[in-house]
Amino acid sequence: MQAQSTARADIYSRKRLIFSSIIIFVVIPIIMLIGVTIFNDRKYNLISMIIVLLACVPFFVSFERRKPQAREILTIAVMSAISVAGRAAFIWIPAFKPVTAITAITGFAFGAEAGFLTGATSAIASNIFFGQGPWTPFQMFTWGILGFIAGLLGQKGWMKSKIALIIYGVFAGIMYSFCMDIWTVISYDGLFSWKRYLIAMSTAIPFTIVYVISNVVFLLVLAKPIGEKLERIKVKYGMLNN
Amino acid sequence: MKAFETYHPIVLFAYFASVIGLSMFYMHPVYLLITCIGAITLNLLLNRKSFISGLKFFLPMFFIAAIINPLISHDGEIILFYIDYNPITLEAIVYGFAMSIMICSVIFWFGCYNVVMTSDKFLYLFGKVSPALALVISLTLRLVPRFKHQITVISHAQKTIGMDISAGNPWQRVKSGIRIISILITWALENAIETADSMKARGYGLKNRSTFSLFVFEKRDGFLLGIILTLLFINILGSYFGVTTYYFYPTFTELTVTPISIGLYISYASLLVIPIVIEIREAIKWRSLKYNM
Repeated sequence: MQAQSTARADIYSRKRLIFSSIIIFVVIPIIMLIGVTIFNDRKYNLISMIIVLLACVPFFVSFERRKPQAREILTIAVMSAISVAGRAAFIWIPAFKPVTAITAITGFAFGAEAGFLTGATSAIASNIFFGQGPWTPFQMFTWGILGFIAGLLGQKGWMKSKIALIIYGVFAGIMYSFCMDIWTVISYDGLFSWKRYLIAMSTAIPFTIVYVISNVVFLLVLAKPIGEKLERIKVKYGMLNN
Repeated sequence: MKAFETYHPIVLFAYFASVIGLSMFYMHPVYLLITCIGAITLNLLLNRKSFISGLKFFLPMFFIAAIINPLISHDGEIILFYIDYNPITLEAIVYGFAMSIMICSVIFWFGCYNVVMTSDKFLYLFGKVSPALALVISLTLRLVPRFKHQITVISHAQKTIGMDISAGNPWQRVKSGIRIISILITWALENAIETADSMKARGYGLKNRSTFSLFVFEKRDGFLLGIILTLLFINILGSYFGVTTYYFYPTFTELTVTPISIGLYISYASLLVIPIVIEIREAIKWRSLKYNM
């Protein structure tokens, strides 16, 4: 039974690899080519939004094709709802969001896929409350990929120590800020310019610092208690083990 | 009198996807003017209050973003003056304002999208593409208010045993706050498993299960969808042949007034005014009905 399920998981991860490679190496370059040749103009803002959305597709497709159990769906929904409620609770401090931390904690406990889905779902759901905008696809992808990275690190068992959590929190805060600035810059010049990117980044430094602080604070406070609860649920009900 | 909202979600989504996509795409001054006016008018019709209160946030952003551009970019032929030996050009100033108009229009269009595409419509559409993920999102949306309610329940209970977040020194308050969150998460996870088992007991994931929704695709939806797609196609064709390209650097392209370009401006404007026309037609219909009574 165990062997069978790991074999199945293998097939799924191989399928996902093929599928994501097709998207990354075929579909995205074609779209870039269309952007460069047919529109022969600097329209990277639209193209970049489409590419970021497409980058999320492999994760969604593999989740969909796996026919997830009700328990997995509910756990991801609970963690996303907690991060959305947390974002709402701290809305009065700009940029102070627990979303990254809770996504990362889910990733540590349940693996890369659950981490990605929690991050992406949190972005969509919280923007349903706070308003969608051109930033939604970027938030989806950034939070998703941060959860994904957290999942990979967690499976290696590296995230038990406080120092690892602090390093991850700083990294995640800076990466979030970097990714969210890209759209501002691209939409302004039509194409990506390092000069403007540096300016956008330097004006965003206060926000970056707040991102980093909130990530580190929430990770240090929440990682152990929530992590233990998730482990307990996992052991008690035997779920999300692949 | 919200008449536009009553159309089928796929029509609404097609409308906003094409309008937002095209608005991000065009830097042609006439197109910018059309999209900006269209977005503001529809916002005033649909969500006047939050639009006006949002303006005090967007107007400064608009000007700051527009002013930064000439300071960074020194391309262009018409030099107005120098700051520290760096030329400030008219082209860069105009380009800065054009970009600000584009970004603000996109954000305004998203404002209308947020009013019209409510979460049930979004989930209905998304559920067709990705049912499992749509289920995750809809559960998340339901759980958020539930958690808020449960937090008040837990904090009332904690108060009775002396763990009150509104009393004591800051450290004690933080401690009781964390305790409440910890209790909430334990409860939420156990509760989630129960919900999941209940879903399973009712046959979640079995074959031949149907879903119910209130949205019916009527004749008028098909009609409107046809119009939207035709206008979108015309506009894409126009930009493919370069009628809508406009350059700010090295200096402004001349605005051409040919029958084709005027036709394209009109087609773009008519795509954008669809909801406005629908709203106004509905308002007139109501008024005349009242009149006849």
